[in-house]
Amino acid sequence: MTLADRIGDYREALAEWLRGFYHGLISHPAYEKIEQEAEDQEDAFMLACFPEAFGIPSPVSYYTAELLPYLEDEFEAWERRMWDRGSLLERKGHQYHF
Amino acid sequence: MRKFVFFGGKGGVGKTTLSSAYGVKCARAGLETLVVSTDPAHSTSDVFDQEFGNDPRSVEGVENLSAMEVDPDSEVERHLMETKRAMSSQVSPAMVNEIDRQIEMAHQTPGAYESALMDRFIEVMQSAEEFDRVVFDTSPTGGTLRLLSLPDLLEGWIDRLAHKREKSIDLYEKAAIGNNEPRRVMDGDPILARLRGRKERFEFAGETLRESSTFFLVVNPDELSLRETRRAADDLESYGLTVGGLAVNRLTPEPEPHEEGRGARFLRDRVATERERLRELRESFDYPVVAEIATRVSEVKGDFLEEVAAELDIDATAERPA
Repeated sequence: MTLADRIGDYREALAEWLRGFYHGLISHPAYEKIEQEAEDQEDAFMLACFPEAFGIPSPVSYYTAELLPYLEDEFEAWERRMWDRGSLLERKGHQYHF
Repeated sequence: MRKFVFFGGKGGVGKTTLSSAYGVKCARAGLETLVVSTDPAHSTSDVFDQEFGNDPRSVEGVENLSAMEVDPDSEVERHLMETKRAMSSQVSPAMVNEIDRQIEMAHQTPGAYESALMDRFIEVMQSAEEFDRVVFDTSPTGGTLRLLSLPDLLEGWIDRLAHKREKSIDLYEKAAIGNNEPRRVMDGDPILARLRGRKERFEFAGETLRESSTFFLVVNPDELSLRETRRAADDLESYGLTVGGLAVNRLTPEPEPHEEGRGARFLRDRVATERERLRELRESFDYPVVAEIATRVSEVKGDFLEEVAAELDIDATAERPA
């Protein structure tokens, strides 16, 4: 194995490691943040659709009820998130990986 | 005269009588007419001495006239069943109970009744091609006015919901890196499609109410009725709806001049106060008084209905399409 090969291997390994490092440090958390923001938006949507789940009467729940059959996944995830969430701070803080 | 004519007013002022009479008048004038009662305490059946249901049925003895009575309870029930049917074909058995509870709850909220009524209203207006004139006998003032303010309110609400949904889907699409499937996609999203469908219907309702409907307020010549009419008229105006006029009902007949005695004196006094009220109605409202109908001794039915119809000074011709 020549020196040039060894340097090449080393650089390749380094590049891969750097790519992974960048992904883990920058891009993955960024996508995670976007996805969490999407979830938050969805939570707001679900809350606006079904406030009676929390005892708040809504003028349109009669109409939004017909959306329910198509919201199975969302509904389940929403309920889980709603019950799991200790506080808004916890949810928002969580994304910073302290 | 516009295609959809609404009769409203305080409870017990004679909305059913006047709307039925107007229905008869239109039918006699050769218009294919439908009388729709939305008052939960239906009395159209009593006026025509015939049972009516949730769908138009022709009135015996009067050509060109049909009537129907909207029943919000059965409407809520129907909606509930439909939603549940959709659920059982969509939702996995594990989630059925959870969602079922939610659906049941939504149908017991205070607004369910009004929403069902609104739905039916829209349906009637949408499927009224075969009729030249649709006369609505509405429930007492408060309920109906709230109902008529719904389309605008709901349109805005649905708009905001759709916007939220779009935003979250958009973010999901952005969050999907590389070859990952986004969790939700905008194309063919059933939720957005339904929200938009709803919105279209509310838009239709709002437009029809503003552009092809006229409202008549039924008044009795007494202080309470007058005040309520003033409020109702203001509300209608503020929703951008057209008030066609005031129909005064239950005027006391005047006794013959030679009659004396307690009854005659009572009637004379009454007539005098009512004149005062009528003057007030003419002077302080911007709307024409389209009918002055005297109290009848017996129930307004059959021939009486025709008499009342003749006294209604409301145009019974169809509006020529511009």
